[in-house]
Amino acid sequence: MSYALECKKIKRTGLISAFLVGGLLASLVPILNMAVRSEMYTHANEPALQILLDANWQMMAMLNLLLTVSGACVMYHIEFADNGIQRLSTLPFQESSLFFGKALVLTVLDILALFIETMALAFCCQYWFSNGAPFGSRFFAELFANYGYLLLLMLPVILTSLLIASACKNMWISLGINVVCVFTATMLPTNNFALSLFPFALPFQTLAGTNMDQAIYFMISVVIEIIIIGIVELIYLRIRRCFE
Amino acid sequence: MNFFSLIGIEFKKIRRSKILWILLAAVIILWLPSIFNAHMNFEMQDTGISPQSNFLIQGFMGMAWFMFPACIILSTVLLNQTERGNKGILKMLALPVEPARLCLAKFVVLLCLTIAQILMTAGMYFVSAAIASQTQNYAFILSPLIVFKEAGLICLSSIPMMSFFWLLSICIQTPIFSVGLGLAAIVPSVLMINTKIWFAYPMCYPFYIITSEYGRMASNLSFSSVEFFPWLPVAIGITAICLIISCLCFGQAERR
Repeated sequence: MSYALECKKIKRTGLISAFLVGGLLASLVPILNMAVRSEMYTHANEPALQILLDANWQMMAMLNLLLTVSGACVMYHIEFADNGIQRLSTLPFQESSLFFGKALVLTVLDILALFIETMALAFCCQYWFSNGAPFGSRFFAELFANYGYLLLLMLPVILTSLLIASACKNMWISLGINVVCVFTATMLPTNNFALSLFPFALPFQTLAGTNMDQAIYFMISVVIEIIIIGIVELIYLRIRRCFE
Repeated sequence: MNFFSLIGIEFKKIRRSKILWILLAAVIILWLPSIFNAHMNFEMQDTGISPQSNFLIQGFMGMAWFMFPACIILSTVLLNQTERGNKGILKMLALPVEPARLCLAKFVVLLCLTIAQILMTAGMYFVSAAIASQTQNYAFILSPLIVFKEAGLICLSSIPMMSFFWLLSICIQTPIFSVGLGLAAIVPSVLMINTKIWFAYPMCYPFYIITSEYGRMASNLSFSSVEFFPWLPVAIGITAICLIISCLCFGQAERR
């Protein structure tokens, strides 16, 4: 019931079209890059997907991050703007289900955006790297494994940005903290495992570049992070309720 | 009411917004890696740049490419949302004040917030350079004249970008689109500074200027110096057009 309600709430915020446009914008990055300077990439020996991700993913991930962060801020902004949250807290309704409903909506929107980007990557592989031969099922297995991995690494960002957005009444403060976090993530060194577990730094990782062991470590730590962030939000809401 | 008292009122409105703390947090985070990685400044000798200049310019480049534009967007969100909440803007528009002057007063506040942030960046530079000098036993602090010159260059070159973001926040009522478009516009600036038509893209001006300063300081790198001719007229044109349109549009959505 909470999920359907959240879907109704975002109807007039333009979030769905923003995520569609954002996904298209991010998928333009590899396509334009290949169209302008394909000779730089087609002669390398690595798998096509890895070349594409190495060349373009930093920028695409940045776009995804900014989109998710501003989406999270807007989703809570519509509650705080006209004191809608006060009416919600008088209903026989857990405040935490608001949070998880919003997280679910944002995840679905990110699934959409990442799917568009994955399709763009597949198109680039097919058009510039295949030399006319169609790709087999192995390529698609690799492509969708990568898609799932990127999606999983996006989840901590969704939860953290929503956590920050739910804590701040004013949109500029939540957006400010989130943007500073994104900025911090771009400054962190990439070769340090502990530092790259910072939620906002995770989406810059790709499956193609890392070896299997490390990818598994990443996935385990992402699941732990998700659980921790969920618990923090539950505790935070309890405490806030006491002081309101 | 004269223009200066309008600006004073706008400053009063944001007094309790805590925006300066967020801007300060961004500046502190900007300089932390520079302090930790201070030893890396000695490994840049083959580009011909001195370690102390490298320390300054790397920090300012980090600032100019993402944090600085993002903070401007943040300030536009602040200036808009403080009044849209509880319909304060309707009361302002009901007063016998010209909306265009109200719009310009808000833009001046935006300008002041940006200047405040660049001053904080310069201030934090001196603090972090002093710390790095202590840890590395090497004098990293440059003369304030050079530091404030670079800071002033970033600030001046960001005015067209500021007016563009201001236009976005005035003309697009849906917050997700004005914020999202602004943030998305920052990302390609890394690509745009390498093209010939960089002067047509106001979001990359500060980054372009600071990159060319880097090229000037590093004697072994060849980065073309800034050509003023197509740039200045285009920049002034963009600023003027954006400001005029935003003055015309200010309050239109509320008056419908």
